[in-house]
Amino acid sequence: MLSRFDYFKPHNLNEAMQYLVKDEKTFVLAGGTDLMILLRRNLIDARHILDIKSLPETQVFEFVEGAGLTIGASVVVNKIVDSELVKAKYPAFNEAAAALASFQLRNRATVVGNICNASPGADLPPALLVFDTVVNIVGLNGSRQVKLHEFFTGVKRTVLQPGELVVSITIPEPEPGEKSTYLRQARLRGHDLATVGVASRLKPDGKVALGICAVAPTPLRLFALEDQISQRGLSEETAVWAAQEIKNHIRPITDVRSSAAYRLHMASVLLKRGLLKLLGKEG
Amino acid sequence: MSNEKDCSMYTEHVESGKRKVTIQLKVNGHQVVRDIDPTMSLLHFLRDDQKLFGTKEACGEGECGACTVIMNGKAVTSCIVLAVEADGAEIKTVEGLAKNGKLSILQEEFIAEDALQCGFCTPGFLMSSRALLDHNPNPSDEEIIEVLSGNLCRCTGYIPILRAVKTAAERERKELGR
Repeated sequence: MLSRFDYFKPHNLNEAMQYLVKDEKTFVLAGGTDLMILLRRNLIDARHILDIKSLPETQVFEFVEGAGLTIGASVVVNKIVDSELVKAKYPAFNEAAAALASFQLRNRATVVGNICNASPGADLPPALLVFDTVVNIVGLNGSRQVKLHEFFTGVKRTVLQPGELVVSITIPEPEPGEKSTYLRQARLRGHDLATVGVASRLKPDGKVALGICAVAPTPLRLFALEDQISQRGLSEETAVWAAQEIKNHIRPITDVRSSAAYRLHMASVLLKRGLLKLLGKEG
Repeated sequence: MSNEKDCSMYTEHVESGKRKVTIQLKVNGHQVVRDIDPTMSLLHFLRDDQKLFGTKEACGEGECGACTVIMNGKAVTSCIVLAVEADGAEIKTVEGLAKNGKLSILQEEFIAEDALQCGFCTPGFLMSSRALLDHNPNPSDEEIIEVLSGNLCRCTGYIPILRAVKTAAERERKELGR
């Protein structure tokens, strides 16, 4: 590691914010599962490491009726895998969490880190997108909330400005009787990034929400396709139609994990399977 | 950034020259207080400072599980944890498994089931398995496989390892009343 950095673990948000603006070479540490690799590969030159795990705001894991579930930036992914509340209320989120990396990494990797890292192939964003998740951001001049579908701006890029910190996310409360699921394709079972991941959610009023990763520079919420599906009404026939239509809504590339053509194909297959699963018919 | 030498692949800690920080933690039950380089990983702290060479570095990026230790009851890959983050923590390494010169049941079963050949990955497998059995004395095959999915073995194959964890769980329930 060539980076020579100081380490700071603040105990309140004000201290953290002062430290964050100290230097443009300040990096935020939560789980460290991405940051430590960037440091080891010398891809970043860090002067300051800000460990946010002792900030009370980042440790929140609280469901409030009417408001939803707030998850602080220090909450690790295995907490989501083990949470009966998430299993019951946000099944797609639970399934995406269980699919992420390996068991040991899930003991360290955080939900918010998976978002802030802004990898196009991250597993959690599709599931969080279909639940209309909101990102809670704090800066020196106050706080703001950004909808998750407006948070990502490109590969590894977000709307976060220098001196801003994501302290938590809030996932609005779902309606009773909802269904959701996350399906992913990877090269091998277990420890691999998704080739394609598709989250789908069906509300009691028949409205469908779709989120997808690894098929564009950012994770996508497929609003236009959702509207078309909802208008047609979700049925086996609509699922088959949507599986054909999805190619007009995504822009996959060829990389080490997959060709663009295979990604298009798998996006179609996973979307159909997901929609059929929502209908109670395993595809 | 300095380009004097590419130390990205060094498997031992390279001193940054930054001011040392004091950490206080428990390693295998022993209280330890040390002044350390803030850029040092927990893995390098265990190996270079504590001279606990059981914990291995292979990929150095959290992919292979060879460096797995138990931190506050949870299996973590110590190569991607900073040593300073372990301040106040309780760490268990493979050296902490045997008691009074006698191997633990889990270690005995790894030997009995031929769950190792070269042995390089074994400390990681043992610590992932230990963390599992500490939380769940009677895991299903699927639960064992899931927990070990972050540990790679390139010579034994995984079936003997799965068998070893299962028989160790059985013996621990019977002999230790877990």
